[in-house]
Amino acid sequence: MSSGFEKGSPAAERLSALADGEVDAGAAGAACAAWKSDAELRRTWHAWHLIGDVLRSEDLASSPGRDQRFLLALRERLAAEPVVLAPEPLPQAPAARRNGGRWMLPSAVAAGFMLVAGTFLVLDPTGAPSPAVPTLARVEPPAAVEATMVQAGLREPALPVQAVAVNGRMIRDPRLESYLAAHKQFAGTSALGVPSTFLRSATVDAEPR
Amino acid sequence: MTSPDADAPLVERVKQGDVKAFEMLVVKYQRRIERLIGRMVRDVDLVPDIAQETFIRAYRAIPQFRGESAFYTWLYRIAVNTAKKSLMELKRDPLVTESARATREDEDERSPVENELSDGETPDAVLASKQIAAAVNFAIEGLSEELRQAITLREIEGLSYEEIAELMNCPIGTVRSRIFRAREAIATRLRPLLDTREGERW
Repeated sequence: MSSGFEKGSPAAERLSALADGEVDAGAAGAACAAWKSDAELRRTWHAWHLIGDVLRSEDLASSPGRDQRFLLALRERLAAEPVVLAPEPLPQAPAARRNGGRWMLPSAVAAGFMLVAGTFLVLDPTGAPSPAVPTLARVEPPAAVEATMVQAGLREPALPVQAVAVNGRMIRDPRLESYLAAHKQFAGTSALGVPSTFLRSATVDAEPR
Repeated sequence: MTSPDADAPLVERVKQGDVKAFEMLVVKYQRRIERLIGRMVRDVDLVPDIAQETFIRAYRAIPQFRGESAFYTWLYRIAVNTAKKSLMELKRDPLVTESARATREDEDERSPVENELSDGETPDAVLASKQIAAAVNFAIEGLSEELRQAITLREIEGLSYEEIAELMNCPIGTVRSRIFRAREAIATRLRPLLDTREGERW
Protein backbone atom coordinates (compact mmCIF):
# COMPACT_ATOMS: atom_id res chain seq x y z
CA MET A 1 0.00 0.00 0.00
CA SER A 2 3.03 2.25 0.23
CA SER A 3 3.45 4.63 -2.65
CA GLY A 4 7.16 4.07 -2.82
CA PHE A 5 8.16 5.11 0.64
CA GLU A 6 11.14 3.14 1.78
CA LYS A 7 14.16 4.25 3.66
CA GLY A 8 16.10 6.49 1.33
CA SER A 9 13.41 6.63 -1.35
CA PRO A 10 13.20 9.69 -3.61
CA ALA A 11 9.62 10.33 -2.49
CA ALA A 12 10.75 10.53 1.13
CA GLU A 13 13.68 12.78 0.29
CA ARG A 14 11.40 15.07 -1.66
CA LEU A 15 9.10 15.25 1.34
CA SER A 16 12.07 16.25 3.45
CA ALA A 17 12.89 19.05 1.01
CA LEU A 18 9.26 20.19 1.14
CA ALA A 19 9.52 20.39 4.92
CA ASP A 20 12.27 22.97 4.34
CA GLY A 21 10.42 24.77 1.56
CA GLU A 22 13.17 23.84 -0.88
CA VAL A 23 11.06 22.48 -3.73
CA ASP A 24 9.38 23.97 -6.77
CA ALA A 25 5.63 23.93 -7.28
CA GLY A 26 5.64 20.69 -9.26
CA ALA A 27 7.58 18.78 -6.63
CA ALA A 28 5.43 20.30 -3.89
CA GLY A 29 2.29 19.08 -5.62
CA ALA A 30 3.71 15.60 -6.04
CA ALA A 31 4.86 15.46 -2.43
CA CYS A 32 1.46 16.59 -1.16
CA ALA A 33 -0.29 13.99 -3.29
CA ALA A 34 2.02 11.33 -1.88
CA TRP A 35 1.36 12.51 1.68
CA LYS A 36 -2.34 12.31 1.08
CA SER A 37 -2.22 8.71 -0.13
CA ASP A 38 0.45 7.18 2.09
CA ALA A 39 -0.06 6.80 5.84
CA GLU A 40 3.59 5.96 6.33
CA LEU A 41 4.60 9.29 4.81
CA ARG A 42 2.14 11.05 7.09
CA ARG A 43 3.64 9.39 10.14
CA THR A 44 7.10 10.31 8.91
CA TRP A 45 6.12 13.94 8.35
CA HIS A 46 4.89 14.08 11.94
CA ALA A 47 8.04 12.42 13.29
CA TRP A 48 10.33 14.84 11.45
CA HIS A 49 8.51 17.89 12.72
CA LEU A 50 8.40 16.55 16.24
CA ILE A 51 12.16 16.06 15.96
CA GLY A 52 12.66 19.64 14.77
CA ASP A 53 10.52 20.99 17.60
CA VAL A 54 12.32 18.95 20.23
CA LEU A 55 15.74 20.00 18.93
CA ARG A 56 14.72 23.59 19.40
CA SER A 57 12.90 23.17 22.68
CA GLU A 58 12.41 20.06 24.77
CA ASP A 59 9.14 21.29 26.21
CA LEU A 60 7.60 20.75 22.79
CA ALA A 61 7.92 16.99 23.11
CA SER A 62 4.48 15.44 22.93
CA SER A 63 3.12 12.13 24.12
CA PRO A 64 2.32 9.53 21.48
CA GLY A 65 -1.15 9.74 20.10
CA ARG A 66 -1.82 13.21 21.38
CA ASP A 67 -0.76 14.95 18.19
CA GLN A 68 -2.58 12.36 16.16
CA ARG A 69 -5.81 12.92 18.06
CA PHE A 70 -5.46 16.62 17.47
CA LEU A 71 -5.14 16.18 13.72
CA LEU A 72 -8.00 13.72 13.48
CA ALA A 73 -10.30 16.09 15.34
CA LEU A 74 -9.24 18.99 13.15
CA ARG A 75 -9.72 16.91 10.03
CA GLU A 76 -13.38 16.44 10.95
CA ARG A 77 -13.82 20.17 11.41
CA LEU A 78 -12.04 20.88 8.13
CA ALA A 79 -14.38 18.49 6.33
CA ALA A 80 -17.26 20.75 7.36
CA GLU A 81 -15.58 23.84 5.95
CA PRO A 82 -15.99 25.09 2.41
CA VAL A 83 -12.77 24.63 0.46
CA VAL A 84 -10.93 27.93 0.33
CA LEU A 85 -9.64 28.96 -3.01
CA ALA A 86 -7.31 31.81 -3.78
CA PRO A 87 -4.96 30.84 -6.59
CA GLU A 88 -2.70 33.86 -6.25
CA PRO A 89 0.94 32.88 -5.89
CA LEU A 90 2.86 34.26 -2.95
CA PRO A 91 5.51 36.83 -3.88
CA GLN A 92 8.06 35.07 -1.70
CA ALA A 93 8.09 31.76 -3.51
CA PRO A 94 10.22 32.40 -6.59
CA ALA A 95 10.95 28.72 -7.17
CA ALA A 96 7.36 27.75 -6.79
CA ARG A 97 6.02 29.26 -9.94
CA ARG A 98 4.54 27.32 -12.77
CA ASN A 99 3.21 29.39 -15.66
CA GLY A 100 3.22 32.32 -13.30
CA GLY A 101 0.05 31.15 -11.65
CA ARG A 102 -1.30 34.55 -12.47
CA TRP A 103 -4.44 35.33 -14.31
CA MET A 104 -2.89 36.62 -17.52
CA LEU A 105 -5.58 38.41 -19.44
CA PRO A 106 -5.56 40.44 -22.57
CA SER A 107 -6.60 43.88 -21.44
CA ALA A 108 -9.68 43.83 -23.66
CA VAL A 109 -11.01 40.77 -21.94
CA ALA A 110 -9.95 42.09 -18.59
CA ALA A 111 -11.84 45.30 -19.14
CA GLY A 112 -14.91 43.26 -19.98
CA PHE A 113 -14.90 41.34 -16.75
CA MET A 114 -17.49 42.11 -14.19
CA LEU A 115 -15.75 43.27 -11.09
CA VAL A 116 -17.29 42.50 -7.80
CA ALA A 117 -15.73 44.46 -5.04
CA GLY A 118 -15.87 43.51 -1.43
CA THR A 119 -18.96 41.36 -1.28
CA PHE A 120 -19.21 37.65 -0.97
CA LEU A 121 -21.91 35.12 -0.60
CA VAL A 122 -21.76 32.75 2.33
CA LEU A 123 -23.86 29.66 2.26
CA ASP A 124 -24.88 27.51 5.15
CA PRO A 125 -24.59 23.74 4.79
CA THR A 126 -28.13 23.34 3.54
CA GLY A 127 -27.18 25.46 0.57
CA ALA A 128 -29.69 28.20 1.23
CA PRO A 129 -28.27 31.68 1.18
CA SER A 130 -28.41 33.23 4.59
CA PRO A 131 -30.94 36.06 4.66
CA ALA A 132 -28.61 38.16 6.76
CA VAL A 133 -25.91 38.16 4.11
CA PRO A 134 -25.87 40.84 1.43
CA THR A 135 -26.73 39.59 -2.03
CA LEU A 136 -24.07 39.45 -4.64
CA ALA A 137 -23.64 42.81 -6.23
CA ARG A 138 -22.23 43.40 -9.66
CA VAL A 139 -20.74 46.75 -10.40
CA GLU A 140 -19.10 48.28 -13.39
CA PRO A 141 -15.39 48.60 -12.86
CA PRO A 142 -14.68 52.05 -11.45
CA ALA A 143 -12.69 54.30 -13.73
CA ALA A 144 -9.68 54.25 -11.43
CA VAL A 145 -9.50 50.48 -11.58
CA GLU A 146 -9.80 50.45 -15.34
CA ALA A 147 -6.98 52.93 -15.58
CA THR A 148 -4.88 50.74 -13.34
CA MET A 149 -5.60 47.72 -15.45
CA VAL A 150 -4.66 49.48 -18.64
CA GLN A 151 -1.53 50.82 -17.03
CA ALA A 152 -0.58 47.42 -15.78
CA GLY A 153 -0.88 46.20 -19.33
CA LEU A 154 -0.86 42.56 -20.09
CA ARG A 155 1.27 41.37 -17.26
CA GLU A 156 -0.26 42.31 -13.95
CA PRO A 157 -3.96 42.95 -14.03
CA ALA A 158 -5.33 44.15 -10.71
CA LEU A 159 -8.41 42.08 -10.96
CA PRO A 160 -10.59 40.57 -8.31
CA VAL A 161 -11.67 37.16 -9.46
CA GLN A 162 -14.73 35.58 -8.05
CA ALA A 163 -15.97 32.05 -8.08
CA VAL A 164 -19.34 31.52 -6.48
CA ALA A 165 -21.20 28.35 -5.72
CA VAL A 166 -24.92 28.19 -5.20
CA ASN A 167 -26.53 24.97 -4.08
CA GLY A 168 -23.44 23.05 -4.98
CA ARG A 169 -23.22 24.25 -8.57
CA MET A 170 -20.43 26.46 -9.71
CA ILE A 171 -21.75 29.68 -11.16
CA ARG A 172 -19.20 31.72 -12.97
CA ASP A 173 -19.20 34.51 -15.44
CA PRO A 174 -19.39 32.79 -18.86
CA ARG A 175 -16.34 34.73 -20.01
CA LEU A 176 -14.46 33.25 -17.06
CA GLU A 177 -15.60 29.82 -18.18
CA SER A 178 -14.27 30.30 -21.67
CA TYR A 179 -11.06 31.74 -20.28
CA LEU A 180 -10.57 28.68 -18.13
CA ALA A 181 -11.30 26.39 -21.05
CA ALA A 182 -8.71 28.20 -23.13
CA HIS A 183 -6.12 28.11 -20.42
CA LYS A 184 -5.98 24.57 -19.26
CA GLN A 185 -4.00 25.40 -16.20
CA PHE A 186 -6.56 23.99 -13.90
CA ALA A 187 -7.94 21.30 -16.18
CA GLY A 188 -8.22 18.00 -14.45
CA THR A 189 -7.31 19.34 -11.05
CA SER A 190 -9.59 19.38 -8.11
CA ALA A 191 -8.76 23.01 -7.48
CA LEU A 192 -11.63 24.36 -9.50
CA GLY A 193 -13.75 21.33 -10.07
CA VAL A 194 -16.92 21.11 -8.04
CA PRO A 195 -15.94 19.33 -4.86
CA SER A 196 -18.24 17.30 -2.74
CA THR A 197 -18.54 20.34 -0.49
CA PHE A 198 -19.38 23.67 -1.99
CA LEU A 199 -16.93 26.46 -2.52
CA ARG A 200 -16.96 29.62 -0.57
CA SER A 201 -16.28 32.51 -2.88
CA ALA A 202 -13.01 34.24 -2.29
CA THR A 203 -12.10 37.50 -3.88
CA VAL A 204 -8.53 37.58 -4.97
CA ASP A 205 -6.60 40.69 -5.80
CA ALA A 206 -3.67 40.15 -8.09
CA GLU A 207 -1.41 42.94 -6.99
CA PRO A 208 0.92 44.50 -9.50
CA ARG A 209 4.49 44.13 -8.37
CA MET B 1 17.79 39.79 2.60
CA THR B 2 15.59 37.60 4.74
CA SER B 3 15.29 33.89 4.01
CA PRO B 4 12.25 32.93 1.96
CA ASP B 5 9.44 31.46 4.01
CA ALA B 6 9.88 27.68 4.12
CA ASP B 7 6.10 27.34 4.32
CA ALA B 8 5.48 29.17 1.05
CA PRO B 9 5.14 26.07 -1.19
CA LEU B 10 2.64 24.48 1.18
CA VAL B 11 0.64 27.67 1.66
CA GLU B 12 0.46 28.05 -2.09
CA ARG B 13 -0.93 24.51 -2.33
CA VAL B 14 -3.59 25.37 0.25
CA LYS B 15 -4.59 28.39 -1.77
CA GLN B 16 -5.12 26.11 -4.75
CA GLY B 17 -7.66 24.11 -2.80
CA ASP B 18 -5.39 21.41 -1.39
CA VAL B 19 -6.85 20.88 2.06
CA LYS B 20 -4.36 18.15 2.91
CA ALA B 21 -1.55 20.64 2.46
CA PHE B 22 -3.14 22.61 5.28
CA GLU B 23 -3.16 19.47 7.42
CA MET B 24 0.58 19.21 6.80
CA LEU B 25 1.00 22.71 8.20
CA VAL B 26 -1.14 21.79 11.19
CA VAL B 27 1.07 18.81 11.97
CA LYS B 28 4.05 21.13 11.76
CA TYR B 29 2.77 23.88 14.06
CA GLN B 30 0.27 22.24 16.41
CA ARG B 31 2.70 21.83 19.32
CA ARG B 32 4.06 25.35 19.12
CA ILE B 33 0.60 26.88 18.90
CA GLU B 34 -0.60 24.83 21.84
CA ARG B 35 2.39 25.93 23.90
CA LEU B 36 1.71 29.56 23.03
CA ILE B 37 -1.95 29.29 23.98
CA GLY B 38 -1.03 27.44 27.15
CA ARG B 39 1.00 30.47 28.22
CA MET B 40 -2.08 32.67 27.92
CA VAL B 41 -4.78 30.42 29.26
CA ARG B 42 -4.65 28.97 32.77
CA ASP B 43 -6.87 25.96 32.17
CA VAL B 44 -4.82 23.54 30.06
CA ASP B 45 -7.94 21.55 29.20
CA LEU B 46 -9.04 24.48 27.06
CA VAL B 47 -5.83 24.57 25.06
CA PRO B 48 -6.64 21.95 22.40
CA ASP B 49 -10.02 23.55 21.66
CA ILE B 50 -8.55 27.00 21.30
CA ALA B 51 -5.78 25.57 19.13
CA GLN B 52 -8.33 23.85 16.90
CA GLU B 53 -10.24 27.10 16.61
CA THR B 54 -7.01 28.88 15.71
CA PHE B 55 -6.31 26.54 12.83
CA ILE B 56 -9.86 26.72 11.51
CA ARG B 57 -9.73 30.51 11.54
CA ALA B 58 -6.37 30.43 9.80
CA TYR B 59 -7.74 28.09 7.18
CA ARG B 60 -10.68 30.37 6.46
CA ALA B 61 -8.43 33.42 6.29
CA ILE B 62 -5.81 31.92 4.01
CA PRO B 63 -7.07 33.83 0.95
CA GLN B 64 -6.14 37.01 2.79
CA PHE B 65 -2.62 35.83 3.57
CA ARG B 66 -0.36 37.46 1.02
CA GLY B 67 3.07 36.51 2.25
CA GLU B 68 3.81 39.93 3.71
CA SER B 69 4.96 38.16 6.83
CA ALA B 70 6.05 34.60 7.36
CA PHE B 71 3.14 32.19 7.59
CA TYR B 72 3.96 31.27 11.16
CA THR B 73 4.02 34.92 12.22
CA TRP B 74 0.55 35.31 10.79
CA LEU B 75 -0.63 32.08 12.43
CA TYR B 76 0.86 33.21 15.74
CA ARG B 77 -1.21 36.39 15.68
CA ILE B 78 -4.37 34.41 14.97
CA ALA B 79 -3.58 32.15 17.92
CA VAL B 80 -3.14 35.10 20.27
CA ASN B 81 -6.37 36.69 19.09
CA THR B 82 -8.27 33.44 19.36
CA ALA B 83 -7.01 32.85 22.89
CA LYS B 84 -7.93 36.40 23.94
CA LYS B 85 -11.39 36.00 22.46
CA SER B 86 -11.87 32.73 24.31
CA LEU B 87 -10.80 34.31 27.56
CA MET B 88 -13.26 37.15 27.07
CA GLU B 89 -16.05 34.67 26.49
CA LEU B 90 -15.07 32.75 29.60
CA LYS B 91 -15.18 35.85 31.72
CA ARG B 92 -18.70 36.52 30.56
CA ASP B 93 -20.03 33.03 31.16
CA PRO B 94 -21.58 32.76 34.66
CA LEU B 95 -21.34 28.96 34.69
CA VAL B 96 -17.58 28.88 34.26
CA THR B 97 -15.58 28.27 37.39
CA GLU B 98 -13.37 30.91 38.87
CA SER B 99 -10.19 28.91 38.32
CA ALA B 100 -10.91 28.37 34.62
CA ARG B 101 -11.48 32.07 34.21
CA ALA B 102 -8.13 32.97 35.66
CA THR B 103 -5.32 33.81 33.30
CA ARG B 104 -1.62 33.42 33.70
CA GLU B 105 -1.39 37.12 34.40
CA ASP B 106 -3.32 36.72 37.62
CA GLU B 107 -1.37 35.99 40.77
CA ASP B 108 -0.68 32.32 40.95
CA GLU B 109 -2.10 31.03 44.21
CA ARG B 110 -2.44 27.43 43.14
CA SER B 111 0.10 24.79 44.01
CA PRO B 112 2.71 23.75 41.44
CA VAL B 113 1.26 20.25 41.34
CA GLU B 114 -2.17 21.57 40.39
CA ASN B 115 -0.58 23.54 37.61
CA GLU B 116 1.20 20.53 36.18
CA LEU B 117 -1.52 17.96 35.97
CA SER B 118 -4.59 17.86 33.79
CA ASP B 119 -6.19 15.39 31.43
CA GLY B 120 -3.55 15.94 28.79
CA GLU B 121 -0.67 15.76 31.20
CA THR B 122 -0.94 12.56 33.19
CA PRO B 123 2.30 11.22 34.65
CA ASP B 124 2.40 8.69 31.80
CA ALA B 125 2.08 11.39 29.20
CA VAL B 126 4.74 13.53 30.82
CA LEU B 127 7.06 10.53 31.02
CA ALA B 128 6.44 9.67 27.37
CA SER B 129 7.32 13.22 26.38
CA LYS B 130 10.54 13.07 28.34
CA GLN B 131 11.44 9.78 26.72
CA ILE B 132 10.95 11.27 23.30
CA ALA B 133 13.13 14.24 24.12
CA ALA B 134 15.81 11.93 25.45
CA ALA B 135 15.62 9.70 22.38
CA VAL B 136 16.06 12.66 20.04
CA ASN B 137 19.06 13.93 21.96
CA PHE B 138 20.62 10.50 22.09
CA ALA B 139 20.04 9.94 18.38
CA ILE B 140 21.54 13.23 17.35
CA GLU B 141 24.67 12.51 19.32
CA GLY B 142 24.99 9.29 17.38
CA LEU B 143 24.97 10.95 13.97
CA SER B 144 28.07 11.51 11.91
CA GLU B 145 29.50 15.01 12.10
CA GLU B 146 28.21 15.92 8.65
CA LEU B 147 24.66 14.80 9.30
CA ARG B 148 24.54 16.41 12.72
CA GLN B 149 25.87 19.69 11.41
CA ALA B 150 23.44 19.71 8.49
CA ILE B 151 20.36 19.09 10.58
CA THR B 152 21.50 21.48 13.31
CA LEU B 153 22.07 24.29 10.85
CA ARG B 154 18.67 23.68 9.34
CA GLU B 155 16.51 23.05 12.41
CA ILE B 156 18.20 25.13 15.07
CA GLU B 157 19.86 27.90 13.07
CA GLY B 158 17.07 28.01 10.48
CA LEU B 159 19.44 28.41 7.55
CA SER B 160 18.38 27.73 3.97
CA TYR B 161 19.95 24.93 1.92
CA GLU B 162 21.93 27.51 0.02
CA GLU B 163 23.34 29.03 3.18
CA ILE B 164 24.17 25.62 4.62
CA ALA B 165 25.88 24.59 1.38
CA GLU B 166 28.07 27.65 1.62
CA LEU B 167 28.92 26.98 5.26
CA MET B 168 29.60 23.30 4.76
CA ASN B 169 31.31 23.86 1.44
CA CYS B 170 29.29 21.27 -0.44
CA PRO B 171 26.62 21.23 -3.15
CA ILE B 172 23.00 22.00 -2.28
CA GLY B 173 22.02 18.48 -3.31
CA THR B 174 24.37 17.13 -0.66
CA VAL B 175 22.79 19.39 1.95
CA ARG B 176 19.36 18.12 1.01
CA SER B 177 20.51 14.52 1.21
CA ARG B 178 22.29 14.96 4.55
CA ILE B 179 19.32 16.62 6.20
CA PHE B 180 17.07 13.86 4.93
CA ARG B 181 19.36 11.11 6.18
CA ALA B 182 19.73 12.79 9.55
CA ARG B 183 15.97 13.02 9.91
CA GLU B 184 15.54 9.39 8.97
CA ALA B 185 18.23 8.22 11.38
CA ILE B 186 16.61 10.06 14.30
CA ALA B 187 13.09 9.06 13.28
CA THR B 188 14.14 5.41 13.22
CA ARG B 189 15.04 5.65 16.90
CA LEU B 190 11.86 7.49 17.64
CA ARG B 191 9.37 5.25 15.89
CA PRO B 192 9.00 2.65 18.67
CA LEU B 193 8.14 5.48 21.06
CA LEU B 194 5.64 6.96 18.63
CA ASP B 195 3.64 3.85 17.89
CA THR B 196 0.08 4.54 18.83
CA ARG B 197 -2.75 2.31 19.89
CA GLU B 198 -4.57 0.41 17.24
CA GLY B 199 -7.34 2.33 15.56
CA GLU B 200 -5.50 5.60 15.59
CA ARG B 201 -4.08 6.38 12.19
CA TRP B 202 -2.62 9.44 10.62
